[in-house]
Amino acid sequence: MLDWLDAFLITGLFHVVMITGLALLLHLQLGLARIANFGIVGFWGIGMYTFGVLYVQVDWSFGDPWQFLVCAAAATLVAGVAGLLVGWLIADLDTDGVLVVTLGFATAVQILATTQDDLTGGARGMGGLGFPYDIGSVKENEFLWLVILAAVVAAILLYVWRVHRSPYGRSLIAVGGNEPLARSLGKSTFRTKLWLFAVTSAAMGLLGAMFGVMVRFLDVGQIGIGITLAAMVGLVLGGTARVWGAVVGVVLTVGLFDIVVQSYLPLPKEWYTQAIPVLREAIFGATLIVVLLFRPLGILGDMQRDKLMRKIHGE
Amino acid sequence: MELITQPLVIGLTEDAPLVLAAIGFALLYRLTGLINVAYAETITLGAYFGMWLNTSFGLDFYAVVLPAGLLAGAVSVATYLVVFRPAKQRNVGVLEMIIISFGLSIFLRHGLQFFFGYPTRFYDVPPPDTIYVLGVGVTSFRLLAVASVAALSLLLYLFIQRSSYGLKIRALASDEDLAKVSGIRPLAVTVLIWFLAGVAGGLAGAFLGVGSSVAPLLGWREFLLILMVVLVGGTWGLGGVILVGMATSVALAALALQFDQILYAQLVLIVAFVIILKVRGTRLTETAKV
Repeated sequence: MLDWLDAFLITGLFHVVMITGLALLLHLQLGLARIANFGIVGFWGIGMYTFGVLYVQVDWSFGDPWQFLVCAAAATLVAGVAGLLVGWLIADLDTDGVLVVTLGFATAVQILATTQDDLTGGARGMGGLGFPYDIGSVKENEFLWLVILAAVVAAILLYVWRVHRSPYGRSLIAVGGNEPLARSLGKSTFRTKLWLFAVTSAAMGLLGAMFGVMVRFLDVGQIGIGITLAAMVGLVLGGTARVWGAVVGVVLTVGLFDIVVQSYLPLPKEWYTQAIPVLREAIFGATLIVVLLFRPLGILGDMQRDKLMRKIHGE
Repeated sequence: MELITQPLVIGLTEDAPLVLAAIGFALLYRLTGLINVAYAETITLGAYFGMWLNTSFGLDFYAVVLPAGLLAGAVSVATYLVVFRPAKQRNVGVLEMIIISFGLSIFLRHGLQFFFGYPTRFYDVPPPDTIYVLGVGVTSFRLLAVASVAALSLLLYLFIQRSSYGLKIRALASDEDLAKVSGIRPLAVTVLIWFLAGVAGGLAGAFLGVGSSVAPLLGWREFLLILMVVLVGGTWGLGGVILVGMATSVALAALALQFDQILYAQLVLIVAFVIILKVRGTRLTETAKV
């Protein structure tokens, strides 16, 4: 079974789907509320490590799938609480302050993952993770995990789509558009921001935990700025203001490199160790500059507001 | 006594480049209002330029410091002309400007590896002399770093506060239209600011690089600390940046000695700075938040 499927392709697809999930969550923060979260990898990483440490270091009296479910729920909860804390910290800060706090949070997670190496394995890494089921070969297990991840990301997409059409979504847009005005109209922008960060960060943590299961080996090298960059470049290219922006952008950026270049281009083998990863990041960086200079709203362009808003604006 | 002198000497000498880099970053931030994440790569490039001049032409470290700073200054000006000036002309927002500078930072950090190679590089210098200050051994490079930081800070301060160019810079920063009417050429003055900031970053990078190794992440590792020093210290002007920068360096050294682990020291400082920003943010009045 699954002979037609390349192992690289499963990993590549997993990466694309996971980054799409992160970019969708970033869309709520950056696209609607206009809060630039530079610490995505911190929330994702705290989920991954909370899951890993609980799964490997704690002696559970029950086995999988319950062990996975309990640990993943805890990871989601911890990431959500971290999001609540960061949301509270940045509630009064401007964009400069948000940059410091979110970057600081991601750095703090990285420092803790490195220094608490009796728990996390630090730079040596931590093994012992596995799929919460066994349906046959490694490839089959990985493929099923990819399908489950796709279902989770589809749920995130549905949630984001519904937020766009909800009163909560409109208050997010109000926070992004003109916060003092929203506040003067009696909207609690503080509560909106807290809820935004708690929910999106929790989901980022869950994605981190699911990544941990997929790679089955955690090390601090995985929680670098690359994750934040990939989610941001995907969203910005696709369109920060649109639900499908994240999907389109991530497929065109991460999909291009992690699937097309990785599996289908006949490039010399030695390029894949250093040249391609370095080129990938350099191109991602350049993409951010070019898109924001020449097409700030990305490929999909401006928000399509609902019927009522279109009627009000006479479009 | 050793409890005080050790962190004081280590902090002030080892992290002197941090203060220098913070001054350069603060110049840009206060005078152009831009948080330039790619400043991290100005520092990194300073280290790489110095290493390249040193290893390719066999030049002494003392001979390559200044050229490395000047080259980094030139790159800084180039980034302004190619990226930030067009962005400003297109009225890109504050948020987008930070993301653009983040993109530039990533682009330069990875792009430079195609020129200087992937592996970590080192300066080819004879082991520096050790000089004892208050009973603590300090290398001669570090003392030179302290001396240059002190001299450059003073020069920059005098230049900005006392010279006619400094007056133009400050005029441009406070009201661009008024400055233009007064006959100040904004392009020339802005290029000057970017050049000075770049030179300060490049020098800091050269000193950091000769002290340990030269790698693509050299500047990025310092960036968060620089950003925090400037945002917190910048409220009290350039002097505030220097003071908070020095206090941070000493605190970093003291905490590192205490915990035996530099990472814990960084963690404590991150938490401290975030608390300061939070408390200050909350204290702003409702209108000031607008």
